[in-house]
Amino acid sequence: MTATMGTPQDTGALVRGSVPAAGGGQPARSRRSRPLITYGRWWWALPAVAMVLLIHYAATAGGALYAFTDWTGIGDFEFIGLDNFRRILDDPDSIGSLQNTLFLAFGFLVLTNVGGLLLALALNRTLKTRYLLRVLFFMPVVLSPLAVSYVWKFIFDFNGPLNDVLGWVGAEPRTWLADPALALWAVLVVMAWQTTGMVMVIYLAGLATVPPEIEEAAALDGASTWRRFRYITVPSVRPSIAIASTLMLIQGLRVFDQVMALTGGGPAGATETLATQVYKETFALSNFGYGAALALVLTMIMLVFSVLQQAATRDRS
Amino acid sequence: MTQQRHRGLRRIGVLVAVPALSALTLAACGGGDEDSGAGGSGGSADGFTFAFENASGGQQNPWQLLADEYAQESGVQIETQGLPPDSYGLTMRTQLQGGNAPDVMMFSPGAGNANAVLPLAEAGYIEELGEESAALVPEGNEPLFEIDGKVYAQPTSIIPVGMVWNSSAASSAGVEVPEDEAAMLDACSTLAADGKSFLAIAGSAPPNMGLMAMAISATRVYAETPDWNEQRSAGDVSFADSEGWQATLQTIVDMNDAGCFQQGAAGGGFDAITQGLTQGTSLGAFVPGAAATELANASPGLDLQVQPFPAADGGDPFVLASPNYALSINASADEGAKEAAREFLAWMAEPENAARFVELQGGVAITGPDENLSPVYEPLADLLTNGDYAPLPNLAWPNPGVYDALSTGVQGLLAGQGDVQSVLEGIDQAWDQ
Repeated sequence: MTATMGTPQDTGALVRGSVPAAGGGQPARSRRSRPLITYGRWWWALPAVAMVLLIHYAATAGGALYAFTDWTGIGDFEFIGLDNFRRILDDPDSIGSLQNTLFLAFGFLVLTNVGGLLLALALNRTLKTRYLLRVLFFMPVVLSPLAVSYVWKFIFDFNGPLNDVLGWVGAEPRTWLADPALALWAVLVVMAWQTTGMVMVIYLAGLATVPPEIEEAAALDGASTWRRFRYITVPSVRPSIAIASTLMLIQGLRVFDQVMALTGGGPAGATETLATQVYKETFALSNFGYGAALALVLTMIMLVFSVLQQAATRDRS
Repeated sequence: MTQQRHRGLRRIGVLVAVPALSALTLAACGGGDEDSGAGGSGGSADGFTFAFENASGGQQNPWQLLADEYAQESGVQIETQGLPPDSYGLTMRTQLQGGNAPDVMMFSPGAGNANAVLPLAEAGYIEELGEESAALVPEGNEPLFEIDGKVYAQPTSIIPVGMVWNSSAASSAGVEVPEDEAAMLDACSTLAADGKSFLAIAGSAPPNMGLMAMAISATRVYAETPDWNEQRSAGDVSFADSEGWQATLQTIVDMNDAGCFQQGAAGGGFDAITQGLTQGTSLGAFVPGAAATELANASPGLDLQVQPFPAADGGDPFVLASPNYALSINASADEGAKEAAREFLAWMAEPENAARFVELQGGVAITGPDENLSPVYEPLADLLTNGDYAPLPNLAWPNPGVYDALSTGVQGLLAGQGDVQSVLEGIDQAWDQ
């Protein structure tokens, strides 16, 4: 019975000194007594915390101040209040970038999670080749996003293999990355193709916690596959859903490499995202103030959506 | 007890060591050489540091070759820094502000590019140059090199920009260089029917779209109104109201409709231009004249020439040609390095050395076409001699955003986004930022 009270790795009680050590006849230490393992004090972390605050947060806050200036990256600047933010709202290119960013982020979130979960379910048990297939599906994750994007750029090229295949079936070739209606979808496909393997691994870890006995019991009780998935699998992998969806949403919101390598934001801004526009405004056009304002907006959007997403996937039980 | 005391000592040791190591690390990262002076990157009277764009990263870059020749001739040590063009401007800005910029730097004249010199000079980072450098600035190009009559960059050569033309491929296809737009559109249809194209373009690369628009604007805008940029600065004209600019962009739309570009042009990269020109599947392309020379040198047997883009019907031929590169001296460099840098610029200004650089870079002598004019520029010889050319327009534009708006706007026109008027209005907005 005691075996079911905790996992074999649960040494919390031992460390806290609340249970006797194995084989010992020592009396249990009281909760208020000195712990057996005392290596560490909270204030030991102060230097690290101070450095994190200084390097991460103070530096970022300092950078954010430029969002309220007209700095061009060289020479003096003036504080111009909220002018950069007004310009963002008035600039159709920035609004377009925002829309593209949201489209890619949520498309990426859905595609990777649905694809990853389906792959995880398929490769969880029974299939003999599952270990090999897991490796194959995970392999794109370890590649550089730039390398993957350049391979796909070749595939999408007007004279590339994709149009060759279309030619075999009598279809007209397309300019995949230069067509404003297709380019954004092409970027999304590349993003999802590379990252679905990562989500699969997260869901496989979650599925490992689902006891087969419960599923078998439910099956014996006549529960359908869908009901077993809905009422046993999904609740069990809820933490995995929270992690995978949060990571994918954030990764989707800050997409940069794939866009730069595949389309450079083109044609005519059709695939521009907030991250690529931050780069372009700041480093290519020397509008550091405006670029900082865009970066601040992107940060706030990521913060808001992450909080909302966390709230949506919270375990309410 | 002993163990406990050791443990306590170890804790104290860790407590002391962590901040100490952190402080040492930060000091090592942030510490500068006390003796290195206020700026520069270590140049001295015996040498200087020199940064320039190097797209290929190889040792055959003309700036590198020139520096090698000067070092060999003078015994001066030159530490070169060849950087990729797309990050060059940003790197120089960062280094100038950080106080570790090279002593001599290659820049683009004017203020319209990310690597333009005038904004840096205005901010006080660039050393004023002397009369020797000022004398090299071609007439009419002074605003690209000067602020309040002081010269901050020394031009090196003139780079013509027109239509690079594969003469042998054109002969094989039975096409001659069209004299006007109507003849060009006819040629486009003929070539498209044969599976070839009049021009190869890199539609996925906005700078190539911008260069195309500027090359076409030579005959539609600047032939009639050479001071159009000055008029735009004064607010007397605008892109949206300019018939010349409307005609320029409309020409691009008409060319696209007539099949003047290779198949899939909207998604093409620079490789499409190289392949099209070298394989003869495209007869022409918009690339800077110096690149045409480089391409011709790299492909023996390839007969490339720079031709003026066909004028509008009834118009006269006209091209773009300007000193697109210039050398400047870091205002914060050590006095010794500054002196060495000035001597280098003076050496470059000598006619035989300037001619050598023109030969290496594939441009035209800064003083105008002479007996050494490259055969690549032969079709432009009369235009250059007669002064029928204007500087590259974007050099005189007020910020890089104007050229970006033109480039991406043309890209959109080829991809079916927007129209001529909206693109021109976008360029006006970028100008006024």
